[in-house]
Amino acid sequence: METAKYEKLTAAGIDVNSALERFMGNEMLLDRFLRKFAADENYRKLCDAVAAGKKEEALTASHTLKGVTGNLSMTDLFDLLTRQVQAFRDDDWKAAADLMPLITQAYEKVLAVL
Amino acid sequence: MPQRETGKPGYQEAHTLLIVDDDEINRGILDQIFASYYDVEEAENGKIGLQKILDHPEKYGAVLLDVVMPEMTGLTVLHHLDEAGLLQVIPVFLITAEASDSTMKEAYQLGVMDVISKPVVPYMVLRRVNSVVELFRARKRLALQVEQQQSEILKKAQQIIELNQGMIEALSAAIEFRNGESGTHVRRIHDMTKFMLTHTELGKGLTKDDIDTIALAAVMHDVGKIAIPDAILNKPGRLTPEEFEVMKTHTTQGALLLQKIPQLRENKAYRYAYDIALHHHERWDGNGYPEKLKGDEISLWAQIVSLADVYDALSCKRVYKEAFSRETVLDMIRNGQCGVFNPKLLECFFSIEEELSKMYQKNE
Repeated sequence: METAKYEKLTAAGIDVNSALERFMGNEMLLDRFLRKFAADENYRKLCDAVAAGKKEEALTASHTLKGVTGNLSMTDLFDLLTRQVQAFRDDDWKAAADLMPLITQAYEKVLAVL
Repeated sequence: MPQRETGKPGYQEAHTLLIVDDDEINRGILDQIFASYYDVEEAENGKIGLQKILDHPEKYGAVLLDVVMPEMTGLTVLHHLDEAGLLQVIPVFLITAEASDSTMKEAYQLGVMDVISKPVVPYMVLRRVNSVVELFRARKRLALQVEQQQSEILKKAQQIIELNQGMIEALSAAIEFRNGESGTHVRRIHDMTKFMLTHTELGKGLTKDDIDTIALAAVMHDVGKIAIPDAILNKPGRLTPEEFEVMKTHTTQGALLLQKIPQLRENKAYRYAYDIALHHHERWDGNGYPEKLKGDEISLWAQIVSLADVYDALSCKRVYKEAFSRETVLDMIRNGQCGVFNPKLLECFFSIEEELSKMYQKNE
């Protein structure tokens, strides 16, 4: 991978080495899924569901996003979503909702470099 | 690409790995990891995955199963595979983001091989899956090998049994040649004994194996004739009382001869053969020889062989007599002209005699 791209992705909170390792060094495949992430609807769904107070839908979206970000080694975002999913599961709606500003911040940071 | 084992002839190695996950990225990652080891197939939910496995269970060497999926969850898929008895045959791995205690416990109880957490670490998931797949393959190869060896042993045992039987029949037929018979007499006694035990209530309580053994023992009923001088054995006319006394000793001589073959004594046919050789001239009313046994003192098999022996002797030409017609034969047996038989035995005999009479049509 080009150094510039590597540094850009790293700065946005992506553990590039770990992600590449997971894709068996296949950079094209990683790029493909990073692009797909940019087009993914689940972040929008999560925001809407939290705003509307729909617990089940919020959990589903958060859970899916957590899986995707984990696979793409978006470390910061993944950690936040892991905490949020746990909060939803623990029925702690407030804690889950309170994570939204941090999640948005991390999401936009990643999206900006894709 | 790593070498795949082709296995032994007749043994199909399951080369396909099935990934069941609703998330495209997960499928893509696992596909990358395993593509060089297996033919990889993907299913995007539990329902599709289950159908693929049920359609061709023999082709899958491993299944990687996500838990939370639309249409059908991984645990439901596991329950279905468990019901179909497939979890013992195909190693299934649960790949899950949240392995809660209850999910793991249920999955392991159903029989998953391993629970691997997402996001996966390639070298780890590769090692864990491949080790189990190799274990399953080795187990299958071994089971197949044992099966092949077992069938070879069975085949050899069968050959030994057939050889034994062939030797016994050859010996008995050789003795029969001496008094000018063709060797078909012992064969018919064998067949009649077996037929009566198989098709009438006389064989009640005997297994098929018992009946085969008794029929084989019946073949040896006249081996004592080897000790009877030619002049008596092949005398065309009536025997003098002295000659008849000698002739009668073929029963005791037969028993003695059989007793002297140690290998036979260990054979399960021995006790029947000894009994039949010694007692196949005893009669129900006690007027037979050599021991003048009476009624149920004579074993069932000795009684059956004595009747078959008389029936066959009357029905065929012998050195001392012509063949009688079927009607005459039946009259003579009914009237007790060849000695008295157990009424129950006669009843069974007459009920199937028509079948027995066909043996002569075939042979002539």
